[in-house]
Amino acid sequence: MKDINSSTRPSTPRGTNARAKRFFTALIVFLLILCALPNVYPNKNLIQIQASSNEVLSLSLPELKSQLEGEGFKIKQIESHQEGYLVELKNRTLTAEARAYMADSYSKLNVKVVSASTMPQWLEATGLKPIKLGLDLDGGVLFVLRVDTEQAEQNKLQSLADEANSLRIKNRYRNLSIPQVINGEQVEIIAKAQGQNELVAITATLRDLYPQFASTTHKQGSLTKVNFRFAEEKKAEFDKQLMTQALSTLRSRIEELGITEAVTQRQGTNYIRIELPGVQDPEQAKRIIGATAKLSFHALQEVGGQKLKDKSGALVSIDPVAIFGGDEIESATGGRDEYGKPLVQLFLSSQGGEKINRFSRNNVGKPMATVFSEYYADTKGEIKRNTEVISVATIQQVLNTQFSITNMQSMEHAQELALLLRAGSLDAPITIVKEQTIGPSLGEKNIESGFKALALGLSLTLLFMAVWYRKLGAVAITSLLVNLVCLIGLMSLLPGVVLTLPGIAGLVLTIGMAVDTNVIIFERVRELRRKGIGMATALKQGYQQAMSSIIDANLTTMITALILLGIGYGPVKGFAITLALGIVTSIFAGVVVSGMLSESLYSKSRKGVK
Amino acid sequence: MTSKTQKARFVGLISGLLLVLASLIAITQQGIVLGQDFTGGYVTVIDLPKQKSHVEMQKKLAELGVQNARISLQNDGSWRVFQTPQSTDETHVKQWIEGLETQWQASVLDASYLGAQVGNELIEQGGLAGIFALISILIYLAFRFEWRLAVSASIALFHDVIVTLGLFAITQVEFDLTVLAALLAIIGYSLNDSIVIGDRVRELLFEEQWKTSPVGNIIDQAIKDSMSRTLITSLTTLTTVLAIWWLGGAGLNSFAMALCCGILIGTLSSLAISATLPQFLGLSFNNYLKEESEAAKQQLAEP
Repeated sequence: MKDINSSTRPSTPRGTNARAKRFFTALIVFLLILCALPNVYPNKNLIQIQASSNEVLSLSLPELKSQLEGEGFKIKQIESHQEGYLVELKNRTLTAEARAYMADSYSKLNVKVVSASTMPQWLEATGLKPIKLGLDLDGGVLFVLRVDTEQAEQNKLQSLADEANSLRIKNRYRNLSIPQVINGEQVEIIAKAQGQNELVAITATLRDLYPQFASTTHKQGSLTKVNFRFAEEKKAEFDKQLMTQALSTLRSRIEELGITEAVTQRQGTNYIRIELPGVQDPEQAKRIIGATAKLSFHALQEVGGQKLKDKSGALVSIDPVAIFGGDEIESATGGRDEYGKPLVQLFLSSQGGEKINRFSRNNVGKPMATVFSEYYADTKGEIKRNTEVISVATIQQVLNTQFSITNMQSMEHAQELALLLRAGSLDAPITIVKEQTIGPSLGEKNIESGFKALALGLSLTLLFMAVWYRKLGAVAITSLLVNLVCLIGLMSLLPGVVLTLPGIAGLVLTIGMAVDTNVIIFERVRELRRKGIGMATALKQGYQQAMSSIIDANLTTMITALILLGIGYGPVKGFAITLALGIVTSIFAGVVVSGMLSESLYSKSRKGVK
Repeated sequence: MTSKTQKARFVGLISGLLLVLASLIAITQQGIVLGQDFTGGYVTVIDLPKQKSHVEMQKKLAELGVQNARISLQNDGSWRVFQTPQSTDETHVKQWIEGLETQWQASVLDASYLGAQVGNELIEQGGLAGIFALISILIYLAFRFEWRLAVSASIALFHDVIVTLGLFAITQVEFDLTVLAALLAIIGYSLNDSIVIGDRVRELLFEEQWKTSPVGNIIDQAIKDSMSRTLITSLTTLTTVLAIWWLGGAGLNSFAMALCCGILIGTLSSLAISATLPQFLGLSFNNYLKEESEAAKQQLAEP
């Protein structure tokens, strides 16, 4: 049982221990204030204009200025920078629009939006950054893509069946059935009694080619069956590979589009979240990001083989196993041949070069097909695969790491295909499941309204504390402000924390709830004072007695915040992070900082009385 | 003898139970309107240079071929149009937006699409999170409190959540992901209040002068002792939530509404339900005597 009178001994003089505690507390507060400081200097958005590679900048500074102002873009500052220009507009929200305008008017210029810091030099030298703003505060485009790993697994299964069939025909295995995909989960090959050796041979080859699959053999009367299915652990690995590939491919596609500061991250097991701040026209980005185009090169095959349509609708029969695929393409550019027809020039990796070299050496004078495939969603939203032979060309000479695909529909097509080939291919189809375009004016409005709410909530709370608690209120107000600054500092410091509108709401709510810590303590102190206990002792006991309530109260909020963190993404995640960090800072500010403040406040005043 | 406070608490308890009943009826009869986060669909937020009435807007959109859309005027003057994924498709959404842009010089502030499948997954995840939150908090309570107090606190918690949901059913305001976040915050907040009062009750039960008093009086005293704290904290939190509601922008309206209701109801239920129920469940000092006799002996042995 707690005895209130047991610790009424006078507070001991501050020892070195207490001094060290004070020092560390002050140090933490100082460091977090420093971390919060960059937020006072928000980044500005600039339009960077440069000549694209190998070109000379033909636009002069006055020309650029009059052109932009003629279109109604008011310029705040314009300067030459690294053989190009940097333009800052008076109205920040028009930056994206002005960039699009410049990029449209001058196709030979490289026009980008870059953000530049406005911090003073000494602060920039510390490497500290302001809090990253979420899309709802900054404006831009958001995509959430679903990577269809199941479809990719199906394709792998089908390709195993195709390969097996092609092996069966090439090696004249007459006693084997045509390999079949059964229930979309396994491939089955059946051998007659005299085909045992053939079955063993084909199984061994297939296992080498497709290490992701496990095979089982069993007898049924005189027949022997071999079944291939995904090995469980290999399947997870295969899915992981698909996700990693999709992520890196999408990242490089976004880079190709010239969008800096995009956020590309995995969300859940098979979703990818892409945030493109500052982008205002989602159409191009959508076409490029959502594209699943793949290119592969195949020999023709007269017997069996895969039958595909070419552009005229005629059937072409190809070897289902590609000579080489998109992975071997290192670089690609769109261009025109000597007759002005659009083409795509390919640069292969040394491995790919070897493959095509070996193949073409043995097949000069024979045809080779270029196969283009992509996924699309039909009207019912189901994913369909479209595969088309874009050209069948006769191999004129031994080919090497550099060659081109002619016969492209248009220059635009050639350039887009080149871009997609450069960025790498996707084995798993992707579909856009969420798309959001947030106008820059809405972002600005959201910041404004969020901070207005914060200012009002904070000032009313502070006012109330000052009126209600008078002198102790000063302690509460200081600790609340310390809490807010520490929270902002912590959010700026931790990587991956993004401030969203619900995040600001979390900030406001944290302020409201942080008061609770001080209220619980101060009400205890008042109660003890009423019992006639001296201020210094009442303070000490008040803090001690309130501790269990404070820990309980914050622990329950912490549990809910952590659960929210687990499910929420996007805006809700922002709310949960602010709430969770707010609990940490409010205990620190409400207990440690305010404890020290009130102690020193009252010990000094007591001395003054004496 | 029952005091005035006790009478007030009993009335509060009964009206709380009636409120839960009414909410349950509203939820089952009216249903809760799920927002885009859970159903998928298209949400378009539009700003018009010249303000139009709701009827005008509805007529214009019908003219442009928009059917079965939820059209609402937000408090910042922008229009919000919600269409389910079943009622429209991408090309059509683009068409009517373009129509509105050319005919009424509208500008699009926010346009978003969410696949129905993602929505379904979120319902599952959201439901799971809610259940998980409840279970972990119940475990925490059972470990932290005597069972009578723990059960009462969790009943108060269910009361708060159900009444808040009931409010959404009655007002037919869309329930989206931010409201779910608010609901979880309410769970934390409601518990917070119950725990502070519960702690006081336990403290008083151990005090010499209160040991022989009826438990009802002890609870009254605990409420009296913590009343100023309860009021101040609720007031400051409510003030900040109202600031969000008033100034925080249209995106946070339903969030603020949920929190506002949750804080009010949560404060009342911590007094009328979580503090009152233990009395009926037979809370007394003896409950602690058996369980904590070891701890008590130890404490008594201390100088």
